[in-house]
Amino acid sequence: MLRFGPDHGPTVIAALPLFEEANRTRAAVVDVLRRLAARGIGGALPDLPGIGESLVPTAQASLSDWRAAFAAAVGTLAGPVFAMTWRGGALIDGEAALAGRWRLAPLTGAAQYRELERIRQLGGGTDYAGNRLSPALLDELDAAEPLDAGALRVARLDGDPRDAAIRLPGRPLWRASEPGVDPALQEAVAEDLASWIAKCAG
Amino acid sequence: MKRGSMNDIEQAVRAVLRDALGLPEAQVAAFETDTPLFGALPELDSMAVAGVLTELEDRLGITIDDDEVDGDMLETFGALARFAADKVAA
Repeated sequence: MLRFGPDHGPTVIAALPLFEEANRTRAAVVDVLRRLAARGIGGALPDLPGIGESLVPTAQASLSDWRAAFAAAVGTLAGPVFAMTWRGGALIDGEAALAGRWRLAPLTGAAQYRELERIRQLGGGTDYAGNRLSPALLDELDAAEPLDAGALRVARLDGDPRDAAIRLPGRPLWRASEPGVDPALQEAVAEDLASWIAKCAG
Repeated sequence: MKRGSMNDIEQAVRAVLRDALGLPEAQVAAFETDTPLFGALPELDSMAVAGVLTELEDRLGITIDDDEVDGDMLETFGALARFAADKVAA
């Protein structure tokens, strides 16, 4: 698990978007955690089983394992702990003991599943942009919803018409074919998250 | 989403192509109705098509069925914008 900033006081634990989108946004999310650290807020980015540096094959990944691993990672952090999730990362914070959940462009599991199916069909193959995913994981995803409880704040990008507490200027980095960063977006995310955490604590 | 004007929809399609394909702002701003897309833009491979379609759905509040997706709707910028406008109006 990557750690940033102070190890006491409020901590933000991040969950990246799922699958290919994680590669495209990792640098941006790490930059947000650095910006939070500069504001005195600790940061953490756990590795989840079957993703990134994990030794577990992606084909054995499951949503319930991700939720349990995320909750376990939260349990190791000094509180209060807030989750910052982007996109499908919102689907994995449901079992964790959190002081609040801040989400950028969250989507339902059904929408995530639909996007994966589209990628598979257009790719003309049986895998999902190079990821082999188990039928059990796909079923779990299709039924999953972000937890709607506790302190919650949803941010979306300008141009996204769906409900949100705030709209932030920036590009949907998770769509780009190459990993990228958008410093203005990352600053806006860090600023909104830091002021929301201050409000939650106040 | 409220019904947008054709100009609004074209702007949304330009933004989607910029973001999903990583194209420079100046390039997408210069797209004309007959500017060829699929087969002409190396960035627009089948994986990128998935991103373009999904981002279009998100921004315009539309749903695109996969059996509506063919080479014709992606042939030119004008064809894609027209497809999107028809969906918004539907």
